[in-house]
Amino acid sequence: MIEVRNLSKSFGEKTVLKDISARFEAGRTNLIIGASGSGKSTLARCLVGLLRPEVGEVLYNDRDFFAMTVSEMKEMRKEFGFLFQQSALFDYMTVEENVRFPLDLLTKMTKKEKDQRVSECLERVELPGATKLYPSELSGGMKKRVGIARAISSNPRYLFCDEPNSGLDPQTSIVIDNLIMDITKEYNITTLVITHDMNSVIEIGEHILFIHKGDKWWDGTKEDILTTKNQEVLDFVYASEFMKQLRK
Amino acid sequence: MGRFLFELGRYMILMWRVFSKPEKLSIYRKRLFDEMVSLGIDSLGIIFVISVFMGAVITIQTAANIDSVFIPAYTIGFTTRQSTILEFSPTIIALILAGKVGSNIASEIGLMRVTEQIDALEIMGVNSSAYLILPKIVAAVLINPFLVVISMFVSIGGGYAIAMLTDIVPTADFVYGIQLDFKPFHVAYALFKSAIFAFLITSIPAYQGYYAKGSALEVGRASTRGVVQSSILILVANYVVTQLFLI
Repeated sequence: MIEVRNLSKSFGEKTVLKDISARFEAGRTNLIIGASGSGKSTLARCLVGLLRPEVGEVLYNDRDFFAMTVSEMKEMRKEFGFLFQQSALFDYMTVEENVRFPLDLLTKMTKKEKDQRVSECLERVELPGATKLYPSELSGGMKKRVGIARAISSNPRYLFCDEPNSGLDPQTSIVIDNLIMDITKEYNITTLVITHDMNSVIEIGEHILFIHKGDKWWDGTKEDILTTKNQEVLDFVYASEFMKQLRK
Repeated sequence: MGRFLFELGRYMILMWRVFSKPEKLSIYRKRLFDEMVSLGIDSLGIIFVISVFMGAVITIQTAANIDSVFIPAYTIGFTTRQSTILEFSPTIIALILAGKVGSNIASEIGLMRVTEQIDALEIMGVNSSAYLILPKIVAAVLINPFLVVISMFVSIGGGYAIAMLTDIVPTADFVYGIQLDFKPFHVAYALFKSAIFAFLITSIPAYQGYYAKGSALEVGRASTRGVVQSSILILVANYVVTQLFLI
């Protein structure tokens, strides 16, 4: 479980996050949604310590992340898996080496155990035959799958996905969304998905946090979001003509 | 001035992180060998070509400028050897590598920054600066002196080839000249210099790449800055080391 308490973050004069408080439970997919520039990626970066908030606390199972020492924080990060918007696969490594990398670095597993774990993860994301390929040889959807395989290889307790569907076609997006949700249930991890894709919201949004201009504006489930009276949320949800038609 | 101090401070902090205790030595060992191949072995071709012509030109220019009956012909061989060992091989090779290796390092690390690969390392709990930069610095500092020794032999060989192919100097005089009054300290001085240059060639472009921001355009700019700054600092370091060791 991740708990955020009164978190604020500024860049110079510009306040990007204002007094955000939220709770993200384990075993379900938590979505942070909002328009571009609303502060959702900044929130994710604060949660994993890539940015340090000026005010507020981030608690991982009641352990305050920013009160930890540098070495404790480093240990804590070993429990994180992160799927980046551009996948962030290491260009000079093959698919297999990318997935194996966290195991080489963070665990004391034997070579055989690592081989087995890499195979398991690649099978889990349905890419068992791509081991020797380099990231430049993969399609966008395959890169995301390898990114997921790498993120889960070291058995993280917390999975962060930043815009997992960006640049993907609708069908592949659904596959990736379902994969994220299945993994969340299977491993009972706390998953946070940063997105502005309404399909994802409908598909996997078990708990949704809507951020508007750096403020926590609304939170609820995918059923709630379709019937909310909150105008900003409605403007976001029903922005496309298709959704407007659907609403009618 | 404020900008310079900011950059210097940030560079020092980065180097502090680069030389902090590595997470897992086996990972670094593999990367070190990869970098030795990439920075050293892959540069052998260009070093060979540059060195052979460098030696040939030094020989021709020396011969053209000491055309006097009072100066013995072996001076050409002696001057070729001294110029090559003391200056041309360590410094010219360093400047060439600053362009080739420096731009490669800055763009590689810069691209990793803008495509979030460095963030991915940090989130995994890896000291990204040490993981990416330390093997490059160590590999270059270890391999560069070998490249310089190769360059010295090839350059003097280039001069010898000119002596053989033309009649500007008898080969016997040239060979006598390159053996005359040889001081091993000069080679040690050149190798020490080349190790310092190797540190500059790798650490400065790595610093520029590591703090690159935004787009591919910025990565290109960081690469240019890395090459220009490391080239200037090679010349400054060359002066300082020469003043300290040869005067």
